[in-house]
Amino acid sequence: MGARDADERGRASRAVSRPAVVLPGFALVSLVGGLFPSFSVGANVVVLVAGGALFWLGLSGRDSTSGPLRRVSPPRMSAAAGWWLLPVLVLTAVELTNLALGSTHDHPTLSGLADPLIEGYPARVAAYFGWLAAYWGLARL
Amino acid sequence: MSSLSRLLAIAAFGSMFLVALGLEWVARRPGSRIPPFTALCGLVMRYRVGPFPVGRVALLGFWWWLGWHFLAR
Repeated sequence: MGARDADERGRASRAVSRPAVVLPGFALVSLVGGLFPSFSVGANVVVLVAGGALFWLGLSGRDSTSGPLRRVSPPRMSAAAGWWLLPVLVLTAVELTNLALGSTHDHPTLSGLADPLIEGYPARVAAYFGWLAAYWGLARL
Repeated sequence: MSSLSRLLAIAAFGSMFLVALGLEWVARRPGSRIPPFTALCGLVMRYRVGPFPVGRVALLGFWWWLGWHFLAR
């Protein structure tokens, strides 16, 4: 009985993680989220609710990207992986420095630079969809 | 007119994004010792301290924060 229940739960959760199910759901959330401008209550609610739900799913394993969908990453990385520290550290340093300096016109943060680009509805929808698609990519690792 | 500091910040951001794209391109070439960014994320996602999935919490939390920072705040 236990094994059959686990198998059924696995099938159900794998169905949920299929693109035909996931992508329309992400599109719907994006279309709704794009309606709300930055700093609005609606935008905060969409991000907190959608993000929180996916965060919980990602930790609970119910998005079921395990088994055949989960790619195996190498157990150890070569020293050459350290090259990735260059963009990560520089981006982080510049971002934190400008944040500490007040995120002004003269000291812009990434989000400050991105704001004019995602002001319009189509751009905000695309940004939401990209953010949600990034979750799906992460959850499948 | 943009100040020098603004231009430098934009140049730093832009150049590091280009560096990241370049690293990803190099990583996907045959025989490359540089792992793709997805492999790095996969390694972080699998990092655990005992039973606690620290890497998964950190990376998913960062993803959530990115959404809030760029889309809502």
